[in-house]
Amino acid sequence: MIFTIFKSWMNKYQSQRLLIVLLLCVILWLVNLSLGSVQIPLKSLLGRIVGNPFPHSSWEIILMEYRLPKSLTVLLAGIALSLSGLQMQTFFRNPLAGPYVLGISSGAGLGVALLTMAGTAFGWQILDNPGNSWSLVGAASAGAMGVLVLMGLAAWKVKDSMTLLIVGLMFGSATSSVITLLAYFSAAEELKLFTIWSMGNLGNTGWSDLGFLAGALVLGLIPALVAMKSYNAMLLGETYAVSMGINFQKLRWSMILSTGILTGSITAFCGPIAFIGIAVPHLARLLFRTQSHSVLFPATAGVGVLILLACDTISQLPGMATSLPINAVTTAFGAPLIIWMIMKRSFSEEF
Amino acid sequence: MDNPENRLHNNEGFVRASDLELGYRSGSETQRVASGVSFSLFRKELTCLMGPNGVGKSTLLKAIMHQHPPLKGEVWLGNSLASHLSEKERAKRVAVVLTEKIPTGLLTVRDLVALGRIPHTGWWGQLSPVDQAKINEVMALTSISQLAHKNVAALSDGQRQTALIARALAQDSPIMVLDEPTAHLDLSNRFEIMYLLRDLARKASKAILVVTHDLEVALETADKLWLMAARQPLLSGSPEDLMISGGIQRLVPGEKWRVDAITGKIIRNTAPLPCRIEGPEPLVSWVKNALRKNPELTLPDSILLSEKPFAIRVTFSQHQQVFDSISEMIRFLQDQLKPENFFLK
Repeated sequence: MIFTIFKSWMNKYQSQRLLIVLLLCVILWLVNLSLGSVQIPLKSLLGRIVGNPFPHSSWEIILMEYRLPKSLTVLLAGIALSLSGLQMQTFFRNPLAGPYVLGISSGAGLGVALLTMAGTAFGWQILDNPGNSWSLVGAASAGAMGVLVLMGLAAWKVKDSMTLLIVGLMFGSATSSVITLLAYFSAAEELKLFTIWSMGNLGNTGWSDLGFLAGALVLGLIPALVAMKSYNAMLLGETYAVSMGINFQKLRWSMILSTGILTGSITAFCGPIAFIGIAVPHLARLLFRTQSHSVLFPATAGVGVLILLACDTISQLPGMATSLPINAVTTAFGAPLIIWMIMKRSFSEEF
Repeated sequence: MDNPENRLHNNEGFVRASDLELGYRSGSETQRVASGVSFSLFRKELTCLMGPNGVGKSTLLKAIMHQHPPLKGEVWLGNSLASHLSEKERAKRVAVVLTEKIPTGLLTVRDLVALGRIPHTGWWGQLSPVDQAKINEVMALTSISQLAHKNVAALSDGQRQTALIARALAQDSPIMVLDEPTAHLDLSNRFEIMYLLRDLARKASKAILVVTHDLEVALETADKLWLMAARQPLLSGSPEDLMISGGIQRLVPGEKWRVDAITGKIIRNTAPLPCRIEGPEPLVSWVKNALRKNPELTLPDSILLSEKPFAIRVTFSQHQQVFDSISEMIRFLQDQLKPENFFLK
């Protein structure tokens, strides 16, 4: 019984691929935990999982306080961003749509910019210590939610999805101009704080933040999973979807809610993570050769985690004391990958 | 007595409306496209909706689909009003094939047809054995089973249109509405698609409404024609009755064109040719066809046609000339004009 349900869900080829992706995720996760400025051998790592303590107590701290929460953040961010991207691309029927097209990252950016740079620009002093990570999270969430509310109002007024997309892009441009102004008048140190935030950081989430993020992920996934059938209907465009009994307005609100919660929470804690949201859904389509969202949802989530884990592992610069900003890695390694895939296959035709 | 359940008699259409006002509402402005539209669409019949561009055909389709509800009046779908049904219930009654281009990437024909089951599947859209059986059935009915695993992008236009019809069939709704399904198709595929639809109407007991501009195909295949013209009520009847009553002339408003009462072709209104043409029938009408296209020619006194071998004997007041093809005769008549034209200019 369960087997027949599974067979109607995805074919043999797709389930094999999904298994490979998940297996690679586990391997890469272990590698990710082991590599870094201090290398923890895989053997001791596996031993630690079984219950044998590490030979060095410092490894325990490195693993439990730093690497494990970071890798779990990668897991959550990979799933959240790539699934937001998938929803946006299907909803807007646009291969270039991503989790940030509705202006969420710009909104979060504006919040952080106001917090870090408005001090000198306007003579405000919002907080004594703008570098505090919780105040950054608060500012980013406030900004992201502000844009989300504005988009909600726009969606209520505007009925056409292409118009909504353009409004989202315009919100993004408008907030960017405010950020530019703030940056122009701000002091060098504050500017650096903001710039570093905008490069993304997966390593700033502690265990309590992780609990919050995981809750947000579950909350944001519910509307997406409920709307899975509607997304399949959207493959033929809005009119066909409506003719097949899809409530388009409901789907639109579910999309805004789901992507808002998913990307908003990740952006608040990790900053805007580039590339994953746009590229991973395409990679999943190419790897699994399907448009069916019941396959694409798990596939995109798996590939998202895999890619972000790989990028994070590279950014740790094994053997060196410093690490690279995550956005530099996702873009530097991701862009050529996508270009290669586009050149190899006719990509817009397969969208 | 006026209980909707009792209203569905044999002589009442499955889809029906009276005195609809069609149009769009944008903000406070309303744009009226057509008014006084009444119709009855019957099951087991193929109906073609025809009329000039901009007369409100697509708006009428959208009113039946309830995507642009009529400004005034109500559409009955079976025994319920379209506006009283939920989206899902409506989807179980009306399936559509639209003109808009569908994104084809990575979608197999079977996937496309399976999308038609969406109103019937549960939450996650998982296909039950019943759904699978229905998909197989409609693919066999439209004879595209052998294309099941082909990519939609790799299909010919005719095959893609058939696959879209199969998707609409999979929706298992008594009403099917198609917007210009034969546009862009080659000559034989136009007939194939329409005969397929006619067949489906009979076999699957569907009420099928097709918007088309293809008079030739519609006359050949439709059970009913609905003719829409600007500022006139919708005229409905069998194609043959409309040809005999002359109602078909509404398709070509104005004096310039008319529908030929025998062939059903649209031809230009011209005075009868002032020239005697004699010979066996198909030859005469094609020579006339060629002469009508070139009204500037000075016609000879008479033209005599003979078959096997084909020959045209053209008689002028002074001399006779013989040709073995129509194009040769036309070229000769054009040459006759040249010196005159030269001096006139």
